[in-house]
Amino acid sequence: MRAVENALGITIPDNARIIRNLISGIQYVQDHVVHFYHLHALDWVDIVSALKADPTKTASIAQSLSDWPNASPGYFKTVQGKIKALVDSGQLGIFANGYWGHPAYKLPPEVNLLAVAHYLEALEWQRDVIRMHALLGAKNPHPQTYLVGGMSVPVDPNSQNALNAGSLAFMKSLAKKALDFVEKVYIPDLLAIASFYKEWAGIGGGVGNFISCGEFQKDNQSNTINCWLPAGFIRNRNLSKVEPIDHMKVTEDAAHAWYKYSDGDDKAKHPWMGETAPNYTGPKPPYEFLDTSKKYTWVKGIRYDGLATEVGPLSRMLIAYASEHKRIKEVTDGVLKKLQVGPEALFSTLGRTAARGIETLVTAEMLPIWIDELAGKMKGGDLRIHSGEKWDPSTWPKEAKGYGFHEAPRGFLCHWVVIKDGLVANYQCVVPGGWNSSPRDAKGQRGPYEEALINTPLADPNKPLEILRTIHSYDPCMACAIHVVDPQRRELVKVRAL
Amino acid sequence: MPKIAIDPITRIEGHMRVEAQVEGGKVKDAWVSGTMWRGIELIVKNRDPREVWAFLSRICGV
Repeated sequence: MRAVENALGITIPDNARIIRNLISGIQYVQDHVVHFYHLHALDWVDIVSALKADPTKTASIAQSLSDWPNASPGYFKTVQGKIKALVDSGQLGIFANGYWGHPAYKLPPEVNLLAVAHYLEALEWQRDVIRMHALLGAKNPHPQTYLVGGMSVPVDPNSQNALNAGSLAFMKSLAKKALDFVEKVYIPDLLAIASFYKEWAGIGGGVGNFISCGEFQKDNQSNTINCWLPAGFIRNRNLSKVEPIDHMKVTEDAAHAWYKYSDGDDKAKHPWMGETAPNYTGPKPPYEFLDTSKKYTWVKGIRYDGLATEVGPLSRMLIAYASEHKRIKEVTDGVLKKLQVGPEALFSTLGRTAARGIETLVTAEMLPIWIDELAGKMKGGDLRIHSGEKWDPSTWPKEAKGYGFHEAPRGFLCHWVVIKDGLVANYQCVVPGGWNSSPRDAKGQRGPYEEALINTPLADPNKPLEILRTIHSYDPCMACAIHVVDPQRRELVKVRAL
Repeated sequence: MPKIAIDPITRIEGHMRVEAQVEGGKVKDAWVSGTMWRGIELIVKNRDPREVWAFLSRICGV
């Protein structure tokens, strides 16, 4: 949408900007917590070990970490009972096929029990707090109220059918609930678990180049130059210099990706010139291994200034930290101090997971401020939500090009559009999962995941838990929503060892 | 040199495979493969630019 607004030179009203910030903000908070507990924690937390815990000891650990109310021995005993019933049933359901008992799990049973209890609580919590999307976006996922030029959700304090004082008060209560859980459960758990895995501050560093386009706009331009989270590029772990970014430095090649370029697959093309012609040359499934000397993935070789570059919360927090963002510097230094490590520890699997927590906390703190900003506009009588001057295609130039930046929870996302005669002539999306999971490029440079896995220790190559830790620390999103799943291929994690 | 493949990686969004060469208990080299095709760029071609966001946001819910 920002790409189209940028191409057509549209500036959105304040209310639309604030609502977009709120939709993104609550999404960061919900998504990061879901990632931590439901997608990542079980790489560190042995759920079966929690059965051996003494619930009284877990309760005293919980009480020492924060004043979160669910912290009695009886509460943890009940949670333990739920796990026991599941394990005794012989059907672990979503917990089936984990590497339970793996030697790389280091937490005492009591901490495992604490984390499992919060895994379950986070499920309930996330369902509640994301109701802000129902109010502002009509649903989640995929909010429906976006509109080129603004938003389609009306604001009007005197209407029952618009965002009014009642909905703002409800959003405030959701924002409070969001921040409470992050402050009293997520961050204490993150620090407690991290303290048992400090060697992971030296593993999984990756390519060392980081980019963010900035997010949470302070003005209404169709780019993201003036934002609460700053834009920038950090080269080769150099925190003393944040370079400004230029979208023209983004390129994609198809040297190792299953696409055909009309002028040679090795060519690094800017997305305005991008092509999307699939050309699968891999083996016919089922197969043992891919021929990685040739093409081996559907993800193109995405590069910034010719370099493989990491995107996501770690990139955003490093760029904010190096740009002297006051609150982020304060929280990050606090986390580093608590874990007794220096800033270099951020370049790691543990650093990536910690940065996501830091970002969640500072974003949750902003939600009530943005709600107040919206309330202030409404109180002042500004009810504009859409700029319609350029809605009619007759107002558009014959040809227009645009780019739209967005920092999604998982990182830098950019769309490029070419509009000709009122229709989309070319569209290219370069998405966060693409940056991080990109393959080798024409020069043979590894992509971020690939580089981060080098030298990962494996206690047992048949149970590569440690690989999952680093891969999950990036929170992979392989572009999910549109595809067909063949039931024959829906296998559980399969490890083939030669 | 043992080579391992993890496919699919679970607890992520989408479909992904990792191949790794292991030597002396450590990963010596690694390759990451996205094992699904998106192609949404082709779906929005020749459409009205005012409506493409609704298609494009379906790439991913997060």
